[in-house]
Amino acid sequence: MGNRRAPGIRARIAIMVVALVAATAIVLGISAVAFVDGSLRDQLRATSLRQANYDLGVLIPAALPNDIDRVSLTASGLLETFRLRGDVETIVDFGDGDPMVSSFDLVGVLAGFPPELRQIVDRGQIGYAWTSVAGRPSLVLAGRPGAGEPAFYFVHDASDVDSALAQLRIGLLAGTVVLIGVALATARTVARGILLPVVAASRAAGQIADGQLDARVIVTSSDEFGGWAAEFNRMAGTLEATIDRLRFTEGRNRRFVADVAHELRTPLTGLVAEASLLRGELGTLPADVRRAAELLVADVARLRSLVEDLLEVSRFDASAEQLETESVDLGRRLQALVAARLPAATLALPVEPVTIQTDPRRVDRIVGNLLDNARVHAPGAAVSVSLARDPDAVRVAVVDRGPGVGAAAVSGPDDPGMDLERLFDRFAKADPARPGGSGLGLAIARAHAELLGGSLRATAEPDGGLRFELRLPVTESLREGDEPVMDDRDRETRSEPTRSPRP
Amino acid sequence: MDARILLVEDDPSIREITAIGLRGAGFTVITAADGREGLARFGADKPDLVLLDVMLPGLDGLEVAREIRRDSMVPIVMLTARGDTLDVVVGLESGADDYVRKPFELPELVARVRAALRRGRGGPADAARLRLGPLGIDVAGRTVSRDGAPIPLTRTEFDILVELARRPGQVFTREVLLERVWGYGFLGDSRLVDVAVGRLRAKVEREPASPTLIVTIRGVGYRAGD
Repeated sequence: MGNRRAPGIRARIAIMVVALVAATAIVLGISAVAFVDGSLRDQLRATSLRQANYDLGVLIPAALPNDIDRVSLTASGLLETFRLRGDVETIVDFGDGDPMVSSFDLVGVLAGFPPELRQIVDRGQIGYAWTSVAGRPSLVLAGRPGAGEPAFYFVHDASDVDSALAQLRIGLLAGTVVLIGVALATARTVARGILLPVVAASRAAGQIADGQLDARVIVTSSDEFGGWAAEFNRMAGTLEATIDRLRFTEGRNRRFVADVAHELRTPLTGLVAEASLLRGELGTLPADVRRAAELLVADVARLRSLVEDLLEVSRFDASAEQLETESVDLGRRLQALVAARLPAATLALPVEPVTIQTDPRRVDRIVGNLLDNARVHAPGAAVSVSLARDPDAVRVAVVDRGPGVGAAAVSGPDDPGMDLERLFDRFAKADPARPGGSGLGLAIARAHAELLGGSLRATAEPDGGLRFELRLPVTESLREGDEPVMDDRDRETRSEPTRSPRP
Repeated sequence: MDARILLVEDDPSIREITAIGLRGAGFTVITAADGREGLARFGADKPDLVLLDVMLPGLDGLEVAREIRRDSMVPIVMLTARGDTLDVVVGLESGADDYVRKPFELPELVARVRAALRRGRGGPADAARLRLGPLGIDVAGRTVSRDGAPIPLTRTEFDILVELARRPGQVFTREVLLERVWGYGFLGDSRLVDVAVGRLRAKVEREPASPTLIVTIRGVGYRAGD
């Protein structure tokens, strides 16, 4: 679970770093392009302007001291000279709508120039404009050699500037892409390195949660993470020590209970035998002594059930219980149990005998304890015992028409079933004011039921009273004839639960 | 009833009240406080039944039972701690016929002792002599022999054999055997039957691991084979 969160943080760190790098590269690139663009154009304009000033002010008046017309201009070869000197085309506007051009490309171009340029020229100044001439980016400078002279338009090719800028853009773009790639890789590596201790700690925490209390984080650095890992380890160590101490204490307490119960058993054996003798002679005793003897006999019986239940609970705690399963006819077992423990109870059995593989001694304990519970906690109430068979389980229900659990023990009217689970706690008493029982009988019954692979639940009856339902898994030995007849030892190993083939 | 009972029990209080209860029921009681004394009294007094505590200082009850079983078929009833499953099975395997769990009430103990003493006297003698394979069974004389050689059986083992041999082929459930042989109701401990049958087979079967005279019907019980 913790591992899934780590890549998320890694990705977030990577995305942030890459975004930062990309934004920086883009801003820098745009600035660089703008700056280079400006300076290249400035340079071209300055050079061209110097040239135009020289041409208009010096060269043309010197070559054509008289009127400038088509014939003299052509004869002077100036346009050719300009063209050869630099990459400059020339348009000469005589104001008659039929300009002279140095190249056929320039025919008709004059009309496309911005009108502002012509106005500047008409005012006797030199003007310039960035424009597209015959599909090429160009710088046009224009002016007159003298008042009344034709206007000269010098067209400079500016495509070098654009191509230089285009190359710059490509270079910057490639550089940005490479930079982002490098940033991505770096960010991932760095993020993984940062998150490594987090991943290790989450693995260790998972191991501790799974019960491996000695799991620790390896401290590799002395930075914040190192300190954090050390603190984590300290916490895990404290936790482990505490749990060890609690386990030790609990084990010691349980052993103590088991030892106490064992020690009580010898005097209890004497008491039970003595009380049984006394009980047979109660009639011969004087009245007040007889009452004392009766109480003694009853109290010995209570003490006996308490000590025996404590011993049984101790055996469960020590996991000293082992199953001895055999084929058990539950209907007959219930008949015998009811007859022995609570003959007043009614018994409802299915017509078909119900036989399962189980440990009969444990079934006796469960049902016996349920009957004892009904007898003690619902004295005089009608008790019914029933047996039913489902496809995968048998159900034994012991229902009494007693008072149920006291109102104080039930949390609310909506969910009366919830607190009934408390009945199965050790020394739980539904009604603390009512004496009787060891308080362990239901806990023991449930432990036996679980050992048999079944369950024991209590529910409140709608008209008061309690219903205890024991569910046992249906297991059957293989049918006779499938296997050769076995002797005793084989029978033991083959009595393992087998799923019923019945639907 | 003037049967003599040897009671081996280390706790003086339990020993005394148990002896009182048994004497009150008409038995003669001989007591011993540990295993060695118990064996000595057994050799000297030849009791009709031994009541044996499992947990004894020094020589424990299981060893005493094995020692007695070396050359005596006297009924042995163990006094065991409740729920110690291993105790019960090991106790029965070391030769006990029955067991009573501590704590016990005296009438319960007396009933077990009487049932153990009653065993081996045979039921209504519908047949004085029975045969089961190579075994000859003299019901009235309480002896079993194979090819003329006598096989010593305890009364419990003898009763099981007679019950099965009287109705060869009929399957007896453990519960029925518990009732007929031990006198228990339905809620008796079926392990008594299984252990006793195992001991009986060890004596009468030629190959106890693959029995032919006493056959297990798995999930049901036992029947006599042929």
